[in-house]
Amino acid sequence: SNSCISDDPDLKDIDPAVLKHCHAAAAMCILEAGKQKADLAAISTCLEDCKLDKERIEQFCTEYQKNKDALEILLGSIGRSPLHITDVSWRLEYQIKSNQLHKTYQPSYLVTLNVENSDSGSHPDVSFSCTMEQLQDLVGKLKDAAKSLERATQM
Amino acid sequence: KLNIGVDTLQHGIEGLTYLLTESSKLMISEIDFQESIHVLGFSDELNKLLLQLYLDNRKEIRSILSELAPKLPSYHSLEWRLDVQLASRSLRQQIKPAVTMKLHLNENEDQTAQVLQTDPATLLHLIQQLEQALGEMKTNHCRRIVRNMK
Repeated sequence: SNSCISDDPDLKDIDPAVLKHCHAAAAMCILEAGKQKADLAAISTCLEDCKLDKERIEQFCTEYQKNKDALEILLGSIGRSPLHITDVSWRLEYQIKSNQLHKTYQPSYLVTLNVENSDSGSHPDVSFSCTMEQLQDLVGKLKDAAKSLERATQM
Repeated sequence: KLNIGVDTLQHGIEGLTYLLTESSKLMISEIDFQESIHVLGFSDELNKLLLQLYLDNRKEIRSILSELAPKLPSYHSLEWRLDVQLASRSLRQQIKPAVTMKLHLNENEDQTAQVLQTDPATLLHLIQQLEQALGEMKTNHCRRIVRNMK
């Protein structure tokens, strides 16, 4: 980003220190507006107080409006949270025997939850085996959670 | 009190243990069991006792043996909680629903608990995928295999 500022023909005559201040000020303004979910009226008022002229305020607000949603998504994703499940994969096996026990004849599931860390992104997956009954228990509980979620959103 | 040597007693117990564990492991039928011990030349009464001993304890022995097989962490239970994030340091005025879960697993005799979270869309996806998994055992393919394996 340093290079794209110094390469821009409009900007190369300006004192780099001033440029840096402007960039920082603009960034702070944008982030604060985003954090507070400020509407355009509030932003305009703020910029008026900063003695910006009407044309600049309008330009700023138009650009802000264009990027507002993306900004909110970005800000919302910053922060700590428990390991986040992104996907699941499963494997069904039919156990026949082991060296300890023959003729077991039992279905067995291997479930892998793909998880993401809010900080570093990747994280080793959580894998576990379960019987059919246990998987039914798990699915039942997940369905309870989903039903609860649905009821909550209807309130 | 039994009036036999320690060695004899030990061998007796080891022999009995071996007999019962091997029979249970292989899940041999009554007839096969009887034929196998017949070779040992014991009395009919003793043979009957041994057979009964085998049949009575077979299930328990098998469940103990099943603990010895290589295992991955296995499912124990799941607790869940519905959360709505209202604000964070970086963003105010949010409404971000999430499901927070505590997955309890059994791992080599220890119980571990892992806290996980997911969003509503992923939750529905998980449910759909796992329901598909459950449905697999009922398909013709799996039913045929199960029938032919026995």
